[in-house]
Amino acid sequence: MSVLSAPEASPPHLAWIAERLRQVTVEIHTEAGGGAGILWAADLVVTNAHVARDSWARVGLADDRHVEARLIIADRRADLALLRMPRSEVAPAALADSDALRVGALVVALGHPLGLRRTLTAGVVHALAPARPGGRRWIHADVRLAPGNSGGPLADTAGRVVGINTMIAGGLALAIPINDVRRFVASAAAGAT
Amino acid sequence: MTTVMDLSNALAGAVERASGAVLAVHGRPRLPSTGVRWRAGLVVTANHTVEADREVTLTGPDGRTLSAQVAGRDPRLDIAVLRTDAESAPAADVADDGELRIGHLVLAVGAGPRASAGIVSALDVGGGRQASGEIVAVDLTLYPGFSGGPLVDVRGRVVGITTSGASRHLQCAVRASAVSRLVDHVVQGGRIPRAYLGVGTQAVVLPDALRDRLHLAQRTAVIAVNVKPDSPAAAAGLIIGDVIVSVAGHAIAEPEDLMAVLRPDRVGRAVTLSILRGGEPRDLEVIVGERPQRA
Repeated sequence: MSVLSAPEASPPHLAWIAERLRQVTVEIHTEAGGGAGILWAADLVVTNAHVARDSWARVGLADDRHVEARLIIADRRADLALLRMPRSEVAPAALADSDALRVGALVVALGHPLGLRRTLTAGVVHALAPARPGGRRWIHADVRLAPGNSGGPLADTAGRVVGINTMIAGGLALAIPINDVRRFVASAAAGAT
Repeated sequence: MTTVMDLSNALAGAVERASGAVLAVHGRPRLPSTGVRWRAGLVVTANHTVEADREVTLTGPDGRTLSAQVAGRDPRLDIAVLRTDAESAPAADVADDGELRIGHLVLAVGAGPRASAGIVSALDVGGGRQASGEIVAVDLTLYPGFSGGPLVDVRGRVVGITTSGASRHLQCAVRASAVSRLVDHVVQGGRIPRAYLGVGTQAVVLPDALRDRLHLAQRTAVIAVNVKPDSPAAAAGLIIGDVIVSVAGHAIAEPEDLMAVLRPDRVGRAVTLSILRGGEPRDLEVIVGERPQRA
C-alpha cells in the first residue's frame, strides 16, 4: 500500500512497529490447515475458529521454536478460538481499545499470507460497520490480505492490536474488533474455572 | 512513537472533518454513490451514478433523507450538480488544488464514513475527453459506491471529486477548481450549459507532405462528416469535408479533443477554427452555441 512511504521517512518508523508485532504473531499448524495467531498471554494464543479446527495445534513462535498447544474453546459463530501452550517468555500483545478506532487511521496487518511468514501490510481503516445490514460490527481495512493472514493481528501505529484479521471481502480486510475478542476470552476463562 | 501516530490521527481527523459534508446519493438502482455538499443547497456527485428521469434522494451524515433534483450535468467531466433544500448543515471545506503535488497523501471518502488512502500519482490526465488540468490520477482504491465522493488532503480539505467514470484504466478525481466552475454555472445561470457547434467529425490522417508544408506537429485531425443546418458551425461557413486542425489554439487530433475544448464557459464566446479546405489552411470564427438541455 502506498501510504507506507511517508511514515517510513520519519522515525520511529513502521519497521519498529512491525518488529514488535512479529514477536507476538504466531504460526498455527493443524491437520486441517493453519494460519496466524496472537500471543494473548504467556500461555494463551487467540486465533480464528476456522484456523484452529483440531483439538491440538503446533504453534510456531517468532524465535523459530515450535510448541504444542491445546484447544481450550472455539466459537464457530464468532470465529474465535483460544489455545493453551507452554509458558513463553515473550511479552504478550499490547491491545488497543477498538471502540476508539477511527475511519482513516493507519493500520498494519501481520500474518503469513500465502505462507510468507510474518509479513507486514499497511493501509487505513476503511469503515467500522456490519458486513451485512443488521450484522455485528467489523473493522473494514483497506489493507491487502491473503490466505494465511487469518487469526493474525491488525494493529494501530503504536503496535497495539485493534482486531483479528478474519476475512477478505471485496478486496477489503475484515477484522473482528479486539474488544469483542476481550469479551470472548473473558467468558472463556470464566467458563474454564 | 509520536510521528507515525500523529500522521494516523491526522488521517482519521481528515476523514472526520470531510465526512460532515458527505452524503449518500440514491440516484440509481441498488448501490448508492457518494456526494459532497459543495455550497448551501448544492450537492456535487458523479454524473454516471445519477440516472436520467429519476427521483434522487440523499442521506446525510445524520441519517436524515433529503430529496434532490439534477440542476446540471457535465458528462465530459462526469460531474452532476444536485439541488436540494437549503439546510444549515456545513458545506465542504474546498481547498486550492493548485498546491497538489505528485506523491501527496490523499484520502477518498465515501458515505458512512468509509475511506481509502493513497497518493497523487499524476497531476494531469488530459488527452481524452477532458481538457488539461481538470483531472488528477490517484493511486488508491475507489471501492464500490465511492464515485462522487471527495478526495481530501491530510487536513480534510476537499481537493477533488473521485470518479471511476473518468477513465477506464486509472483511478481519477476531478479537481476541485473544475468542479467549482461547474457549480458557479449553476449558481449564476441555474444550469450547466453544454457547448455546441453542430458538427459531426471523424479522425483523418494528415499526409506528411501537408504536415511539413504547414508545420503541423499532429499526425491526425478531424474531418467534418456532418454539419447541422442553422448550427453555429453552419453559420460560420463550415462545410462537409473541411478538416479541423485546431480550435482556439488547441490541436484537434481526434473527435474527443473537440469535446474537451468545448467547455461550458465557452458558450456564447467566439473561437477560431483552424481548418484545411482543399489542402489550404484558413480560419473560421465560430460563436459557440448551447445544446438544448435535458435533465
